[in-house]
Amino acid sequence: MRDQIVEKKVTVSQKYKKRSTFISIWRQLRKNKGALIGLAMLVLIIAIALASPYIFDYDTQVIANNIKGRMQAPSADHWFGTDDMGRDIFARVCYGARYSLAVGVVAVLFALVFGVTWGAAAGYIGGPFEDITMRICDIFSSIPSVLMAIAVVSALGKSTFNLMIAVGITSTAPFVRVARAAVLTIRGEEYIESARAIGVPEWRIVATHIMPNSVSQIIVQATLRVGSAIISAAQLSFLGLGVPAPAPEWGSMLSAGRSYIRDYNYMTLYPGLAIMVTVLSLNLIGDGLRDALDPKLKR
Amino acid sequence: MSEETTNNLILDIENLVVRYETEDGIVRALNGIDLQLGYRQTIGLVGETGAGKTTAALAMLRLVPDPPGVVECDKLMIGGRDILNLPAAKMDEVRGKDISMIFQDPMSALNPVFTVGEQIAESLQIHEQLDKKTSMERAKEMLEMVGIPGARANEYPHQFSGGMKQRVVIAIALACNPKLLIADEPTTALDVTIQAQVLELMNRLKEQYDTSMIMITHDLGIVAEVCDTVAVMYAGKIVEQGTLEDVFNHTLHPYTEGLFNSLPNIKNRTAMLKPIRGLMPDPTDLPAGCAFAPRCDYATEECKRRKPQLKQVGPTHKFACLAYEQEGFHIKRGNR
Amino acid sequence: MHRYIIKRLLMLIPVLLCVAFIIFAIMDVAEGDPVYSVVSADATEEEIEAQREAMGLTGSLLERYFRYVKGMLQGDLGTSYVSKRDVMETYLTRLPNTLKLAAVTMAIALGISIPLGIVAAVNQNSIKDTVSMILALLGLSMPNFWLGLLLIIVFSLKLGWFPSGGYEDGVLSIILPAFTIGAGLAAFMTRSTRSSMLDVIRQDYLRMARAKGVSERKVIRKHALRNALIPIITVFGVQFSNVLGGSVLAETVFAWPGVGRLVVDAIDQRDIPTVTGALVMTTMLVTVVNLLIDIVYAYVDPRIKAQYMK
Repeated sequence: MRDQIVEKKVTVSQKYKKRSTFISIWRQLRKNKGALIGLAMLVLIIAIALASPYIFDYDTQVIANNIKGRMQAPSADHWFGTDDMGRDIFARVCYGARYSLAVGVVAVLFALVFGVTWGAAAGYIGGPFEDITMRICDIFSSIPSVLMAIAVVSALGKSTFNLMIAVGITSTAPFVRVARAAVLTIRGEEYIESARAIGVPEWRIVATHIMPNSVSQIIVQATLRVGSAIISAAQLSFLGLGVPAPAPEWGSMLSAGRSYIRDYNYMTLYPGLAIMVTVLSLNLIGDGLRDALDPKLKR
Repeated sequence: MSEETTNNLILDIENLVVRYETEDGIVRALNGIDLQLGYRQTIGLVGETGAGKTTAALAMLRLVPDPPGVVECDKLMIGGRDILNLPAAKMDEVRGKDISMIFQDPMSALNPVFTVGEQIAESLQIHEQLDKKTSMERAKEMLEMVGIPGARANEYPHQFSGGMKQRVVIAIALACNPKLLIADEPTTALDVTIQAQVLELMNRLKEQYDTSMIMITHDLGIVAEVCDTVAVMYAGKIVEQGTLEDVFNHTLHPYTEGLFNSLPNIKNRTAMLKPIRGLMPDPTDLPAGCAFAPRCDYATEECKRRKPQLKQVGPTHKFACLAYEQEGFHIKRGNR
Repeated sequence: MHRYIIKRLLMLIPVLLCVAFIIFAIMDVAEGDPVYSVVSADATEEEIEAQREAMGLTGSLLERYFRYVKGMLQGDLGTSYVSKRDVMETYLTRLPNTLKLAAVTMAIALGISIPLGIVAAVNQNSIKDTVSMILALLGLSMPNFWLGLLLIIVFSLKLGWFPSGGYEDGVLSIILPAFTIGAGLAAFMTRSTRSSMLDVIRQDYLRMARAKGVSERKVIRKHALRNALIPIITVFGVQFSNVLGGSVLAETVFAWPGVGRLVVDAIDQRDIPTVTGALVMTTMLVTVVNLLIDIVYAYVDPRIKAQYMK
């Protein structure tokens, strides 16, 4: 009877704590100019990504060839100029946000779900399983991630989905590490022992007591990883291993622009700028979140 | 103050003010202290954590971090030399040579990547222009002096225990035979048995080297053991100052009384401890009147309005309290 | 100390076997039977079978893996499907070029990041600090191959200072590709140096050094830097892997005949033995370099060294 009351109290205070944590994170974040700029940039990029199908017609404006109008320098009609197929670069850059964001987010979600589950299990179970997990993580971080992703794509074949898988696999190890470390730090805490003592099932202990404590680190890690996943995806597309043509992916646009770099360098300018702005916004938010979540790290 | 008296002082400070200008407000760490110390004398700076003792020590070495620290002072003389306006390069010559400091936590005061010998020898290389070999020889002698075998000079700090590390720190501080040694709670981080050894060592070396010393502590027992005079600090000010006899046996200030009442009495174990109620005021927001008034049992309305000034009551005894303006006032401890 | 190094070397063996297996398994998933890329279209069933035997494609994954490892131990990584040349030989002719590029990259990155990180930390929250941090953030956010393209536009097409690619111009050819890989690394290292310096700058032992009369310059350069470098060395190991990864892109952009180009070309041609061989060798290289860095680390930090001496 008494235990029940105690348990209720605990859950109530935890809920309260959770909400107040998010509020206080937001309060911290609001003070951080960089993070706010990043947030504004990201919101704008997402808005462009969502709106572009309503602004541009994919079949006629984004991928259709128009040889007569090829290689036009930026003008009022074509803000970023047109490419070697006569396609409007501005439309393609806007549309490209859909690919980059989708690949980045899906790849990181894949890495997050897979990596956190694996890492938490490793930390919780311990023993040889944990050792092997950590060795595998070490191996994955010593294979250059670009090479790893190249190998995966070339094995699975070129497609947007396989690109997501390849980038996801190379982003997994950090999540395994974070989750395991988080579990390790609280594995021995007394409130875990007491939860076990009152008969809470093991999986519930992990899901309700252990994971919420590492959420903040995982959020930071995920934000920063989406940025690097976008770069990885663009790199693969640049090498011809990513999103297949004629889709307007930023990396493959740069690959096309490379052939004309001597005379039409605007073709290489805007898609790259788009990648940089997107990744920059995510890095700004990630840094801001990290400072907000851990004031000790604020520098 | 005449020339002659100045020359007899190793340390002469007038109206030292230090504040830290931070985002969250101005922290008033030191609010105008005067301090004079004669050669071969030891003064104890006593007070709670946050009273400004360490800041005072850092200000004497001109090591208050700037920003955020701002130091203002009418006079800052060490060994008859004005160091207030000394350029940075000259100041490096003073530190370690004329004045040196022992820090509170020996665990973090030694650089983990250099051997203890190298760290002692470094002072000698800077101030006495010794070469590497000679300075290492001298470093070994210094280690022997503080009771560590010279052969251990090639070991790294992590190979020493806490008490041993503090001995190394003492050896570093004394390496160039400074005229003034500031010891900032040198025994606080150590075990009680080690504390006694380290204190004994410092007392001996102080005599041997003819060094004047400022002993910063919150432990009145240590003051009784090593000091000639005491200055009790509260909220960045000196509230009572005098010889051991003055302050211990003719206590005047209510805060000093509070400190004594907070000590456990070994002879009378049934006696109740009487801790000072409340906490040190927030240094970003000091009260308008006496800073101690909110915690003082004797505080009057006047105390809350006006800041008390340090008043001379005997040849050596000074205190700052407004309660004595009432006719016939005395604290409960009285004159024992 | 020697025992520690030997122990680490022995631990390397299972790791390398595991690396080879992971890569071997991934490449095995590749769709399409590689035999058909080699035999002529009108080959008979027997000819195909014989070819398969010759290419070492018979047996289960594990059988083939053990055969591969056996060959690897004798320095045999198989024969390229396309050029019919020995993979190990091809790899070794390309490796020096990539190592040269990596070395210049590291030099550029260290040369920029350590002074910049120190200046930023020492002048925390000043203009210098803010500018350094903004530069580092931009460097981290910029895709390296795009930076490479921009460098070509500005420094070789507009200004004509450096060649836009190739290998022939010696030192001049290496600058732009090295900078392409090095910028991101420099950005990362500037941030690590700064935060590591900030940790150290607050330590009591720096106050102690100042109280001894050590000049401010020496306090930073001798007492602080030595301590701050310790964590920086550890991140350097991981960064070496990123440099090799970055070289894949830079070598493509600048037509630099290194390992990265070898892999990209081999994938285009579905030349699986070359891809597998190059990946396995590169990962081994990274692992060995990491081991070396661990040993250096032990020498720099007496606390770690003492731990291993026991």
